[in-house]
Amino acid sequence: MKKTQTKAFASLVCSVILLIFEVWAYIETTGFRVHKRAFVQPATFPQIMICGMFIFTVVLFLQSLLKVTRGMKPEDPENEISASINPFTNRGVAAAFFVIILCVLYTYLFDKLGYVLVSACISVIIMFLIGKRNFIVMILVSFLVPLIMWLIFYKMLTVNIPMGVLQPLRDFVDKL
Amino acid sequence: MDWGLLFDSYINVFSSVQVIGMTLLGALGGVLLGAVPGMTATMGVALLIPFSFGMDLIPSIGLLLGIYCGGMYGGSISAILIHAPGTPSAAATLLDGYPMCQKGQAGKALSIAMFASFCGGVLGALIMTFLSPMVAKMAMKFTSAEMLMLAFFGLSVIVSISGKSIAKGLISAFFGLLLATVGQDPTYGAKRFIFGFRPLLSGFAFIPTLIGLFAIAEVIAGVERIISGEEKQLKSEEKITNVLPDFKTIKQIWHNIITGGLIGTFIGAIPGAGGDIAVFVSYGFNKSTSKHPELWGTGIPNGVAATESANNGCSGGAMIPLLSLGVPGDAVTAVLLGAFIMKGIQPGPMMYVNELPTVYRVFATLMLANLAMLIVGCAGVRFFAKIVSVEKKMLYPIILVVSLLGAFSINKSIFDVGVCVLFGVVGYLMNKFEFPLSPILLALILGPMCEQNFVRFVDVNNGNFWEILHRPIAVGFFLVSVATILFSIYNQQKINKREAENKRKTGNE
Repeated sequence: MKKTQTKAFASLVCSVILLIFEVWAYIETTGFRVHKRAFVQPATFPQIMICGMFIFTVVLFLQSLLKVTRGMKPEDPENEISASINPFTNRGVAAAFFVIILCVLYTYLFDKLGYVLVSACISVIIMFLIGKRNFIVMILVSFLVPLIMWLIFYKMLTVNIPMGVLQPLRDFVDKL
Repeated sequence: MDWGLLFDSYINVFSSVQVIGMTLLGALGGVLLGAVPGMTATMGVALLIPFSFGMDLIPSIGLLLGIYCGGMYGGSISAILIHAPGTPSAAATLLDGYPMCQKGQAGKALSIAMFASFCGGVLGALIMTFLSPMVAKMAMKFTSAEMLMLAFFGLSVIVSISGKSIAKGLISAFFGLLLATVGQDPTYGAKRFIFGFRPLLSGFAFIPTLIGLFAIAEVIAGVERIISGEEKQLKSEEKITNVLPDFKTIKQIWHNIITGGLIGTFIGAIPGAGGDIAVFVSYGFNKSTSKHPELWGTGIPNGVAATESANNGCSGGAMIPLLSLGVPGDAVTAVLLGAFIMKGIQPGPMMYVNELPTVYRVFATLMLANLAMLIVGCAGVRFFAKIVSVEKKMLYPIILVVSLLGAFSINKSIFDVGVCVLFGVVGYLMNKFEFPLSPILLALILGPMCEQNFVRFVDVNNGNFWEILHRPIAVGFFLVSVATILFSIYNQQKINKREAENKRKTGNE
């Protein structure tokens, strides 16, 4: 196994990304409004938190660097193979990324198509993606679960949920 | 204490069909509401308060307390079964509850959660009955210094829930504390990290963040596991012969229930601190004092018992300042305060003088509410445990759409759905690279409390933070926190060493 495939190397990469993030976040806090008479500025608390995060990121960086450069004992948990996030070499990761894209689309379409329809669509797609092929059950479950949830939230908990193109359904339920 | 009057009040409450009926109805509603991610006990109480307008005081309080206690337990159902805590108070239950479910012990985990919830609730109700004025007096000594150190004490638990890498746990915690600062600064209203994006002014809403980190991340990871062929379909082969835990299990968890209940009651009695903090403190304390801390987080009954008794203990604790001082301990008791005032009763010290029979009846009603929660829970254990048998290929999409609806329903905001998805991705990536998620959650709960009290204390003392050394309770909390951190580090090193040794032994064999 290559060193670059170990968990220690993954931690090293993570710590570098985190260090960049912390430097950026700290610079961002310097732009916060300053109050002349205040003992604690609005930027103080976030800056303390960034410093804390920075200290432990450096610790993680050094720990990982030492393990990667000096080598590890076989029983060291950091010597195990790291999880992959490459969607081109791992079908599982590709599917996970696809679900993330679906979730982003879901958020975008929630208001436009309405909860019931967009939820039914995403459910059918995910079920198909993960190997379910009984279409009647898939469609029934995907449509009925959001519909029942909508009815519970709308009628019992009085939470108004966007219905989008299925607005007539709400009018029908209101009439009932 | 007027024992005769107390006894009469219990008889009065426990013999009233209307009170029993309303409390059972409330408990049923609370359990069902609590089980839906995003629906909290507070929301349930607020929704049902208009229905209690026409009732007498005690049946209406029974209804509301039933929802309160039921909601506290209900949150654990989804935490155990689908890795999505129904309420913030159930966030720590999934640490051991979900692994128990993965081991095929969903029914056992649910019955332990229910039993521990009941015992914690009863313990809280008993303390409320007998020590109310004393605990309230102590809780009222908490000013910004004590609250700051209480928050610090809560954060000290992070080390014990960090898992294998303390550095990663602490990075997660500081990241969570940083996330908690997004939005308007609580003292001066300065904008922080909002990048001109108005919905971020109030920061990341807690419940959508919680749902995202746990439920959405689990769905994404679950899809990956199914495609990679690593997902096991759980079958409910577990036979639930008894809906309550057996004697052997009770013997194993009783001390966790008692410490959890006591911690929950005390933290619940402090205004501004509630079940969400108590569960983590109880989990951390019980893990640190356990003989086998390495087993915590792998799915042991003790972990479920410690957290569930703490969150239901809070229900009694939160009632203490409400009745004794007229100060609500949490959001639910704030709504209950409204219910009392609506009925023409002003909670506070004079209530113990002018309305003593009512006070005692409220004590009895809380006890009844816990009993109602137990009855509803017992009736539902077998049914809830069946959820794990639902085919994962169907379950994951259902969890996704129900969770996203829960995220939306909090503020009726699509932005919250986006926040939920964003934190789902964050949680998925953090899980992949073994950054623990629970510290973020704890930091999001305690961050605002920490900052507000820090700013308030420093401002009140003209910038002299070291004035805190003159506050004995605060210093006490600080010392206990340091001891907890050191002990947890020592424990974690011991666990890592033991695990490495076991690995070496199995490698040699």
